[in-house]
Amino acid sequence: MNKKRINLRFGLRTKLLLLSSFLFVIPWFGYQYVWEMEKYLRFGQEQTLVGTARALATALHERENLFNNQASFLPSVEQGKDLYGYQLTEAVQLDGLPKDWPHFSERAHFYNHQQQLFAHQALSLNFKASVGKYDKYLYLFFQVVDDHLVFRGKNSRSIRHNDHLALSFSDQHNNLNRFIISNKKAGWLSAYSISDDEQDIPSPAHKIQGQWLVTPQGYNIELRIPLKSLGEKIAFALYDVDQASAKVHSAVGSANPNKIEDLGTILVPSPEIERIVKGMHYTNSSIWVVDQHHRVLASAGSLKSASGVWHKKNLQPNPEETKSIWFQFKQTVLLPLYYKILTKPAPDFIDKLYDARHLKGGHIDSALRGQGKSQWRLTTDKKALVLSAAYPIYINHKVRGAVIVEETTNGIRTLRNRALEKLFSVILTIMVFGALTFIIFATRISSRIRQLSNQAERAIDHQGRIIGKMSPSKSNDEIGDLSRSFTTAVNRLSEYNHYLENMSSRLSHELRTPIAVVKTSLENLAIQNNQQLLSIDSNDKNAYIQRAQTGVNTLNLILTNMSEATRLEQMLLSTEKITFDLKSVIDGCIAGYQQVYDNINFKLNISLNKLAFYGSPEHIVQLLDKIINNAVEFSQDKLITIELTKHNDKAELFIANNGALLPEQLSERLFDSMVSLRSHYSVDKPEVPHLGLGLYIARLICQFHQGEITAHNHHSPDGVTIKIILPIIT
Amino acid sequence: MSKRIAIVEDEAAIRENYADVLRSQGYQVQTYANRETATQAFNLRLPNLVILDIGLNEEYDGGFLLCQQLRSQSASLPIIFLTARDNDFDTVSGLRIGADDYLTKDISLPHLTARISALFRRQEALKQPISNAHITRTGSLTIDSQRMTITWQNQAIDLTITEFWLVHALAKHPGHVKNRHQLMTDSKIYVDDSTITSHIKRIRKKFIKFDSSFDCIETVYGMGYRWLSVQNNPQNTHE
Repeated sequence: MNKKRINLRFGLRTKLLLLSSFLFVIPWFGYQYVWEMEKYLRFGQEQTLVGTARALATALHERENLFNNQASFLPSVEQGKDLYGYQLTEAVQLDGLPKDWPHFSERAHFYNHQQQLFAHQALSLNFKASVGKYDKYLYLFFQVVDDHLVFRGKNSRSIRHNDHLALSFSDQHNNLNRFIISNKKAGWLSAYSISDDEQDIPSPAHKIQGQWLVTPQGYNIELRIPLKSLGEKIAFALYDVDQASAKVHSAVGSANPNKIEDLGTILVPSPEIERIVKGMHYTNSSIWVVDQHHRVLASAGSLKSASGVWHKKNLQPNPEETKSIWFQFKQTVLLPLYYKILTKPAPDFIDKLYDARHLKGGHIDSALRGQGKSQWRLTTDKKALVLSAAYPIYINHKVRGAVIVEETTNGIRTLRNRALEKLFSVILTIMVFGALTFIIFATRISSRIRQLSNQAERAIDHQGRIIGKMSPSKSNDEIGDLSRSFTTAVNRLSEYNHYLENMSSRLSHELRTPIAVVKTSLENLAIQNNQQLLSIDSNDKNAYIQRAQTGVNTLNLILTNMSEATRLEQMLLSTEKITFDLKSVIDGCIAGYQQVYDNINFKLNISLNKLAFYGSPEHIVQLLDKIINNAVEFSQDKLITIELTKHNDKAELFIANNGALLPEQLSERLFDSMVSLRSHYSVDKPEVPHLGLGLYIARLICQFHQGEITAHNHHSPDGVTIKIILPIIT
Repeated sequence: MSKRIAIVEDEAAIRENYADVLRSQGYQVQTYANRETATQAFNLRLPNLVILDIGLNEEYDGGFLLCQQLRSQSASLPIIFLTARDNDFDTVSGLRIGADDYLTKDISLPHLTARISALFRRQEALKQPISNAHITRTGSLTIDSQRMTITWQNQAIDLTITEFWLVHALAKHPGHVKNRHQLMTDSKIYVDDSTITSHIKRIRKKFIKFDSSFDCIETVYGMGYRWLSVQNNPQNTHE
């Protein structure tokens, strides 16, 4: 049962290949190593980034004037009141349309009843306001929803009995400048400078420029103020009038624009800090400087180009390189294969928008508490990993802001990919060559061993006889040794076999002389006895002598039979083959046997008329003699069937007798020298010895004719068929 | 005067047994155990017949050397090889260097003495005129049973005693199949079947040497051999 299960056969080659599969550990280690390397690179990048942040922060430490604005010293800022002027990237056209304001809806602040200054009626006005800075101007945009738009009357002197915007800001010297924008019609703004005194005649203020646009919901006001006239405080308010020349019934605004104390702060990105930050622009990082209220003071660089310092090393290959076959092969075959496993860093990714009014993040909080920190995060679309580091800026031992530096890990990933590409190429080459070498080596070894085993099989037939010689291998290794020792063994065995096969002849030769002594002595004795006929006891003596002579004659016969095989071998060496008719020889022989064995019935089945055969007829006769003799002795029903057929250039001769079956284990060795099935001398002919040489001689004759002889059992009735196959050579 | 026979044989027991039986036949027998003593004796005086063993002590083919030596001394001296070696090669060699017969040691003593007396008889008969009483003719074959000579187409064929007896046995009854046992009895040898085959082959060769178209000895497979006379047409056999 167990044997059946362990039926799988592993060849030497399979085993070697299996063992060589341990080589696959090497690429795995390489892969792990590259990943480990990436980890260290990231750690390095983190340190570098924190370093960059610290360096920038160092440049900004104790530079009070950079942070010298009101808001910087406020404990907190109030959304809507304390304004932040976004840095606009492009000039804004003063047309009253919000379309050239980037991210207007996100950046605008919504003003409604919560910011109302007063209301004599139910509030029917709300608006969105956005502040931006471009070049030397501060831009403001108001998108107002009003149920009744009331312009200033054409002839109205008052500028307050209609829908109007009040705008107040402090100048550089912290003096309050108040303006009212009050239009008679949609179009270019009419701005008036007013004073605290109600009686003062408002004077047109041309430095406030802008556009009034009527919209289905209400109206839009887009305006700009030169930065040089702007201080650090600002407030605006929209006054709503629902009937022509009626009084203002409600007002909504960032703060009360009438008093300088009530004004909110305005923060615009600081050009001074920006100048410093611009110097850091070349670090391939995205840099932000925020104040303590998380509001961006300056920024430089874009995250998309901020892939870290390693990105520069991603050099483009030179044109000569691109022409090489290896490069082409790498591009078309290897890289697509590699990138089934690897991921290429996406050059385009979408990140969340920072609200410049309020940068958020644990690292910023930590930096504003005085602790430099870095953190990893994924971009919103999860395509890139962003590393950001924040470092505090100290002024008078207090944290007044922070520097935030951000980079993507794309540089490192590109670097890692390049490392892995190279690693994969090298590994692939090594594996291919290694596998080839292994296969060739294993094939060579297994073929050599197979060759050796084939040679050994050819040298010894399945009956254990040495039928050929082996040629020793000349190679100086273990298999060569094996081959040589095999050859030696086979040669020795061959010599021993030959010795055994010749033993009977040697034995007979050695025994012949002593037997001759006995024989001649006995004969002399017999002759003397014959001369002394008168002697009384001569008859008794004669009987003894005759018995002794019979014994010696039998012994002599044995010796003759023993040397017959050897003599035959010697004779076959000098026998010339002739062409003769095999059928007539067999016919003749059977006729002869019928005379010799008159109590046996020979049944001859030959359908052929003539069978030309090239060989030695005398020996064919001898072969028949031996087999028929054998068949006669084992026949029980006195019937022997002989059949001759021609089959594919081969003459097949079957001689069958019915009687005892051959034991299985002996049928192979039956035709060997000195092998006999007879357990004892046959009862009826005790003087005929059996040495088991008859069938051996038959085999020798068959071999001489390049034929083969086999014995098979046949059944119902039981018996033995001797089959002789002789190739017909003409 | 009794004939003198020399026996050269290294095995003392056999030598003496042969000597005894020959002496009892009335021959004068000298025995030699090795080649040197035999050569010395033969140089002084040649015997009438010599029986030689091939292997003499250490000399593997001392008998052959001795035979050559004797043949050079006398062309007519009958020489018989009596040896344990029964292979074809030695037989052919022995006969080729001039032996009159080649016998193996399993031959019985009566057969041996019959051969010896036949040899002497032939020697004697050769000295006498040819007497037609002993001559039988079958076709081109003439057998002189007294002189133990055979001629084919009037050419003498040189045959050993054994061969002569074989041919004689076959040609006595042309067309009759003689099996091997009958042939053995007639030629006073007891050998195995393949030795008879070898003898027949040698005889054929000797005839073919003089007549390349000779095919009077026919092998009847499974039975034996028969003599086919060329002039033997069916009418003759019926008569």
